[in-house]
Amino acid sequence: MHIPDAFIPLPQAAIYWIIALIFVALALRWARNELSEEKIPLIAVLAAGIFAIQAFNLPVGMGTSGHLVGGALAAIVLGSPFAAVFILTIVLIIQGVVFGDGGITTMGANIINMGVIGGFVGYYSYHGIKSAIKNKFIPAAIAAWLGCFIAAVVCAIEMFIAGTFPLVPGIIAMGTYHAAIGIIEGVITAGAIYLIYSTRPDLIELDKGDA
Amino acid sequence: MTDAKNTNGAKMNDATFIAIGLVIALIIGVAAVFLASGDPDGLESASLYVQGEKDLTSDAPEDADPEAVGLGTFEYSSPFPDYSWEDLGKMGDIIALVLGIVIVFVLIFGVSRIIKIKA
Repeated sequence: MHIPDAFIPLPQAAIYWIIALIFVALALRWARNELSEEKIPLIAVLAAGIFAIQAFNLPVGMGTSGHLVGGALAAIVLGSPFAAVFILTIVLIIQGVVFGDGGITTMGANIINMGVIGGFVGYYSYHGIKSAIKNKFIPAAIAAWLGCFIAAVVCAIEMFIAGTFPLVPGIIAMGTYHAAIGIIEGVITAGAIYLIYSTRPDLIELDKGDA
Repeated sequence: MTDAKNTNGAKMNDATFIAIGLVIALIIGVAAVFLASGDPDGLESASLYVQGEKDLTSDAPEDADPEAVGLGTFEYSSPFPDYSWEDLGKMGDIIALVLGIVIVFVLIFGVSRIIKIKA
């Protein structure tokens, strides 16, 4: 879902950057106030893992491949959507600047789609679904799927505003492919949460925000 | 760093957790070099679809360019495009990915520490 430079005209790319920077500032404030010293190893390892797995494209049929984005995973594990913004911002900076994956001008839009939308949709739908079905892992899979799918539809709308994709075919294609890619997002998110929960339940905040 | 052995329910201390986590990340990264799918990703595939280069469910043609719909407003040349180190083949890809994994780990660790120290 990494938008390359060519896909968004500069004035629009600048607006996405401004919105993204507001969330990045809030994420830094979250890290300063909420991220405890004990969780620094977890957030660093999680970010390294998310970077690695983003290079691992899996085929989803339809001539298309996809990979975990990790916004929902970061937000659920660290107990805040801003954790997703924090991790994905750094991952996207390295991917764009060092590896040419995702544009520089479009990095703001990519931070919004994958960090902000992936993180916020993932985090709040996780806690919503978990209060309905009493399970720690299935809601994580559903929330991660939703984060991927909604981010893809928003991306299609951004592509329409940019004049790059037509509206309806863009939404159909982005929605269809990411409905499939979202299954990867869901399975890996639930699996990773299970792994962390089995080894370091003290580090994970699955129950934060529950009534 | 705290000794997590005595905290609630931890089955692994911090150093072990970091080591195992990083090893998993490195295994995934190296495996990706050999096993990752070369098919276009969701956005590229959608781009080919709206260009009429492929049907919704068909394979993408080999020579299709997902960025052909682009505006060409800005060009940036990254040092390791497509997670590869020119002329070094698969070994270059592995070096590039391992480098990326280490940079991300160090950056997140460093930024978090600096933010906490300043707080």
